Amino acid sequence: MNLSINIKETDILLEISVEGEIDAYTAPQLRERLFPLSEKNGVNMEINLSGVSYMDSTGLGVFVGVFKNVKANNGQFKINGLSGRLQRLFEITGLSDIIDVNSQIEGEVK
Amino acid sequence: MDFRDVMEPKYRELLENYIKDQSEQALYAGQKFSRKSIEHKISPEEIVSLHKSLLMQMQPDLPENVLYSFDILLEVMIGYGLAYREHQSLRHKQEELRSEMEIAANVQQTLLGTKIPEVDGLDIGAISVPAKHMNGDYFHFVQDENNCISVAIADVIGKGIPAALCMSMIKYAMDSLPENRMGPGSILENLNRIVEQNVDPSMFITMFYGMFNPENNLLSYASAGHEPGFYYDAAKKEFTELSAKGLLLGVEKRTKYSNYHKEVHPGDMIILLSDGVTECRTDDGFIEREILIDYIYKYIHLSAQDIVNKVFKDLEKLQHFQLRDDFTLIILKRKV
Amino acid sequence: MSIQSCVTIINEWDIVAARQLGRNVAKELGFGTVDQARITTAISELARNIYLYAGKGQICIDKLFDGGKPGVKISAIDSGPGISDIRQVMEDGYSTSGGLGAGLPGVKRLMDQFEIESIPGDGTKIKATKWLR
Repeated sequence: MNLSINIKETDILLEISVEGEIDAYTAPQLRERLFPLSEKNGVNMEINLSGVSYMDSTGLGVFVGVFKNVKANNGQFKINGLSGRLQRLFEITGLSDIIDVNSQIEGEVK
Repeated sequence: MDFRDVMEPKYRELLENYIKDQSEQALYAGQKFSRKSIEHKISPEEIVSLHKSLLMQMQPDLPENVLYSFDILLEVMIGYGLAYREHQSLRHKQEELRSEMEIAANVQQTLLGTKIPEVDGLDIGAISVPAKHMNGDYFHFVQDENNCISVAIADVIGKGIPAALCMSMIKYAMDSLPENRMGPGSILENLNRIVEQNVDPSMFITMFYGMFNPENNLLSYASAGHEPGFYYDAAKKEFTELSAKGLLLGVEKRTKYSNYHKEVHPGDMIILLSDGVTECRTDDGFIEREILIDYIYKYIHLSAQDIVNKVFKDLEKLQHFQLRDDFTLIILKRKV
Repeated sequence: MSIQSCVTIINEWDIVAARQLGRNVAKELGFGTVDQARITTAISELARNIYLYAGKGQICIDKLFDGGKPGVKISAIDSGPGISDIRQVMEDGYSTSGGLGAGLPGVKRLMDQFEIESIPGDGTKIKATKWLR
């Protein structure tokens, strides 16, 4: 199972796109890449998960951890590109109430 | 008799037979010899050396350069012998780890054990199967002095040993909650504070907490980000989602959890599950929640324990007997 | 009683010299070809460790006579960076998984006795002995 993580950094935004499956095997890899970035002060992080075909609760744990780090360091955190299944996962766990997910204007062409 | 003592004449016989007629039978005898020599931990370099010395005895006029070549073979084989012995020792270590894990799993079972209460008017069934040795799912029943039945079902984000360790803490926290009657919402609020303070910042727990009062047949419940269960309405023969809003335990210290209520009629069922049930992966992708309902409906005439057992068996088969995640399914059925 | 001879290890050729010295001593004491090969492999591993990690050190070969029983003692001494976690380097799979060869557990297996002392920043001393059976 493969996971690819692309990071694009500009002065104002840290864009991260993830592709593949996020599960117990690939989650540590994601964690290793994202945690150091989330600890920078005032980081503006945007994560795109449109290339993620599967994610289990381990992946969710990584994103919550990253979210907490970013908040603790006065940063901004956003997740978009969630599939219906992932969107539901964020809703059930109550995370969509505290994390900014899929917030782009509906119908927007990417 | 020691194998080392018979090894030389045996190998000599093999060699002589094969040199004589090059038969398949002699080669087969050679294969059997290697099985024995491996069993008695004879290293490859010893075989090479034996081969060379027997050859020198049997064919005294062998050119020297042929004999020298065996020194190179011997040197090369030493590395293989060492690799083989290391492999053996690692296998032994793996065995040790496996048995240690089994003991840990048993300890966990004892530690987290809960008895399904026997209540007039309520038929309860529960099954919880770990994907690996240790279970990151957990369920817990309590019957209080007012005969109220409480059920908690929880899932630690993460699997295996870390999840299991975390679960033991939750069980401990639940046992030490104050006895006075709290609603499901305030119980979750209490647990949330404990998890937030004590657990690794990237480890979270989902939990559904339900409390059934047999006096007025009222179910109160609250959820901390847990996979929603189902409610079966016997009169309408209809399944609906038993949803409740609430954030995972351990994310935010001051999270509030609302209580929800439902009146339970005779024949109605409360179905609770972990995401290992809905994340069953089959050849055609994930099972849909509708399919799960079909499976439950198929066995609806049976007792609650039989339903959960049979649904597990069916889903296990559907996944070719490979669980990817811990699996927990609980059914509470109000007797007719 | 012991008679010692040493080889200084600085480059890869010195590993061969150490092997040769060990083989000569082993042969002289009456070790068979298999044990000769084992002793030289152990010397190789220890000398290679010096060459790769310490840069410079010594391999010494002693002839031992313990109550008439002959033996070979290999000593590998360097003043390199030392080993901070000896338990880790003595673990199976640690060096082999990185393709570094048989490693110290291999040396221990090839010989009858094995001792290691290491002080980080100060150097490492390893002694390994094999007795003639």
